[in-house]
Amino acid sequence: MQPIKLTLFFLFFFMFAKAQTKISGVLKTIKGTPVANANISLKNSYDGTSTDSTGRFAFITNETGAGLLQYSALNFEKDSVQINMGSGNITINLTIKEALNQLQTVSISAGSFIAGDGKKGAILSSLDIATIAGSRADIFAAMQTLPGAQTSFSESGLFVRGGTAAETKTYFDGMLVKSPFNATVPDQASRGRLSPFLFKGTSFSAGGYSAQYGQALSSALVLESTDLPEKTTTGISILSVGAGVDQNIRFKNSSITAGGYYYNLSPAYSLIKQQHDYTKPPEMLGGNFQYKLKTSETGMFKVYASYSRTQLALYSANIDTPAVPKYFSNHNLNIYINSTYKEYFGNRWKLETGFAYNKDRDAGLMTVNDYSRTDHLTEGKATLTKSFGQLSNFKFGAETFNTGRLESLNGLSRKYNDQISSGFAETDLFLTNKIVVRLGMRAEYSSYLQKYNLAPRTSLGLKTSVHSQLSFAYGRFYQNPEDEYLIIKPLGFEHADHYILKYEINTTDRNFRIEGYYKDYNRLTKISNGDPTNTGSGYAQGFELFWRDKKSIKNADYWLSYSFLDTKRDFRDFPMMATPTFAAKHTVSVVYKHFIESLHTQFGGTYSFASGRPYVNPNNPVYLADKTQTYNSLSLNVSYLTHVLKQFSVLYLNINNVPGFNQVYGYQYSANGLNRQPIVPAAKRDFLIGIMITIGDDTFVR
Amino acid sequence: MKNLTKSITLILVLISLNSFAQNVNPKFSQAIKTGLDMVAAAKGGEDYLKAENYFERIAAVETKEWIPSYYSAYCNLYAGYNTASKELKDQYWDKALQEIDKANALSANNSEIYALKGALEFMKMSVDPRSRMYFMGNSAESLEKAIALNPENPRIYLIKGQDTFYTPEAFGGGKEKAKPILESAVAKFAIFKPVNTIEPNWGAESAKALLAQCK
Repeated sequence: MQPIKLTLFFLFFFMFAKAQTKISGVLKTIKGTPVANANISLKNSYDGTSTDSTGRFAFITNETGAGLLQYSALNFEKDSVQINMGSGNITINLTIKEALNQLQTVSISAGSFIAGDGKKGAILSSLDIATIAGSRADIFAAMQTLPGAQTSFSESGLFVRGGTAAETKTYFDGMLVKSPFNATVPDQASRGRLSPFLFKGTSFSAGGYSAQYGQALSSALVLESTDLPEKTTTGISILSVGAGVDQNIRFKNSSITAGGYYYNLSPAYSLIKQQHDYTKPPEMLGGNFQYKLKTSETGMFKVYASYSRTQLALYSANIDTPAVPKYFSNHNLNIYINSTYKEYFGNRWKLETGFAYNKDRDAGLMTVNDYSRTDHLTEGKATLTKSFGQLSNFKFGAETFNTGRLESLNGLSRKYNDQISSGFAETDLFLTNKIVVRLGMRAEYSSYLQKYNLAPRTSLGLKTSVHSQLSFAYGRFYQNPEDEYLIIKPLGFEHADHYILKYEINTTDRNFRIEGYYKDYNRLTKISNGDPTNTGSGYAQGFELFWRDKKSIKNADYWLSYSFLDTKRDFRDFPMMATPTFAAKHTVSVVYKHFIESLHTQFGGTYSFASGRPYVNPNNPVYLADKTQTYNSLSLNVSYLTHVLKQFSVLYLNINNVPGFNQVYGYQYSANGLNRQPIVPAAKRDFLIGIMITIGDDTFVR
Repeated sequence: MKNLTKSITLILVLISLNSFAQNVNPKFSQAIKTGLDMVAAAKGGEDYLKAENYFERIAAVETKEWIPSYYSAYCNLYAGYNTASKELKDQYWDKALQEIDKANALSANNSEIYALKGALEFMKMSVDPRSRMYFMGNSAESLEKAIALNPENPRIYLIKGQDTFYTPEAFGGGKEKAKPILESAVAKFAIFKPVNTIEPNWGAESAKALLAQCK
């Protein structure tokens, strides 16, 4: 036993005899601010300590010789310094560099409004969009509560910063959606076809958007679809206007979703007095199918396909001959397919490819005339992105659209077809964590127009403090004239230049932004003597404010938008520069949501205001000089969370224009100018009641 | 001869110990124990951050051990509980999720790691529930996986019970619903035997305390 004891003794002796070194000092930032709770460690040893609130540290080590003293802290870059131990105590003052932190890093932000789940810079979530009172889960109606967009109820689409609805384009996973709206009724806005629940991210850009997006003069609505659903569920919705069912089937690495719906507005229209006299209230039947496959840890393949048919027929008032109301009927057929594949590979490369097909057919009778119109779009796209540095990237890609229209009236038909091919390249360069520059370029060639265009885009972000940022963007945007003109003859591209300046303050619970812009429109399509030309032009300038607060009122969340718009155009059949009918000078929206836990209920309200819009009065020698009364709307909704047959359910009620404000969008004049009738909403008040049941999940969100 | 037998026995014992407890590095397990003492004595966010730093230092040396990264993540979870700042919560929990991924890479299919991951994902959701509902799905998925790997892991039921307890009734939570889950947590804690002195063995007291509040 003796030798063992001896060994142990020597071992201990040796350990104690080892030279102890005390390492101490202060850790500060480059600016001299002490860094607390930093980790100070000795490489290849457990020895080390944490800094205190004044950045001081001290620890004792038994290591000797050369060593590496490492130091790291949250939001700072890990660093190290060589030291030599064993020859006396070491006092060392360290400085540490700030690291790029998500919250404190600048972003590309000018013009855009990001709504998304867990997205950097996201202001709204997909749930926020679906639960805005008055929007009834319509993405486009929800976007009208954001700054830059006009409130419109007599025409489908988003009218952004003085642009027409045709100047806003919708993209589904990067692919252009040619016909994003339901079948149209004269002088009424239709809902969007795509459900907000399909998407995890929505980015609404009112200008200055990326070179990835072409053929949009004023605005881009970029929708990003959800990934695999978490579990197998069945969703049933029963509404006062119809019913739908969808089945999610989740496999290990893939999922299938199949759904169908049937809407018939005749019961609702028998209760709610409609402006038009329907002989066939809208009836809609449709289905959709989705397949998603996780091809690898980072790869994803998606297919979305939908089909729908709508029928409607109505008589609308005829201002010229009141005894003979105007007949209108429409059979609409819409097919949409979108398929994308995304994968990361090699040294920080990302590949995205996509294919989309859209066909939209309207046919029916307009008074006594047989009409039909078929729009189509086939698109292929591929984008490669290379990331470099901590945040920077370079992307380039190509896409091609085959698009066109075929229309006929009483058996006479005409059509046009265009192949638009384009290439783009863009880089987001983070010069520091406080400065980012985006430089992009897009080139397009249209086979029908037989013309090229080259569109430079640039955007700049400058972080002014932890929570605030200044942004600037300039870009040139091209778009083909609308189908109704192109079918007459090929023209040239229309174009617009955007200049945007934005300042924003964002914290977790509050957002403030102010954005000013100037837009210069040129080569807009103008009809002179029935002949379309590219001689139109126009401008738009204004500023917008946005404020959101999720904190001040408990369980409540609200946002306010204000838009000021000064715009004039000389386009379409305008005889001169004038403010178009869709442009109100002042627009205000207030969205409020309040969850009352004890009642299991969320209450929501949306108030919208718009100053008077110009309308054409043939009796006034000055064109578009008259203005409608101001527009006011107050909508309320209630969502009650409950269980029906032990399944999680939401009982939902939405009422539009609760106080019954008189809403006038404009006037239609008789040919002789003596009589007029106001263009008003489909119904003074409108309500929707429904229940949504989810089987197979115990939480209310699908 | 006697000595030889002794020596052989000793060697055998040492070998068997080695293979049983894989990491018989006594310096390592002692270090973890010291860290667990720091956690037990922690009084506020700062203390958890110090313990987190401590485990991180061990993790940097013991690059094959999942335990230090697991406890780093655990400390960050508690550091997040102990701050009112949503920004800090997010940063601590983001870091914790990275540490959990690190632990997972070292010890695949570990019920404890998935349980803690599920807890962290749930807390990430709670910072901004309206816009982070998708974390709910991630959390449920992680906890399901933890159950599939070891249905007797009591911490899964504590975490599920906690999540349910703090979820409003309207969203499928509440005390009533949490009670049976916490009861099974307490029952499972009563029979739970940790693999060794340094593997996860926390939560029994929290489960009891929370269950008491359900009555």
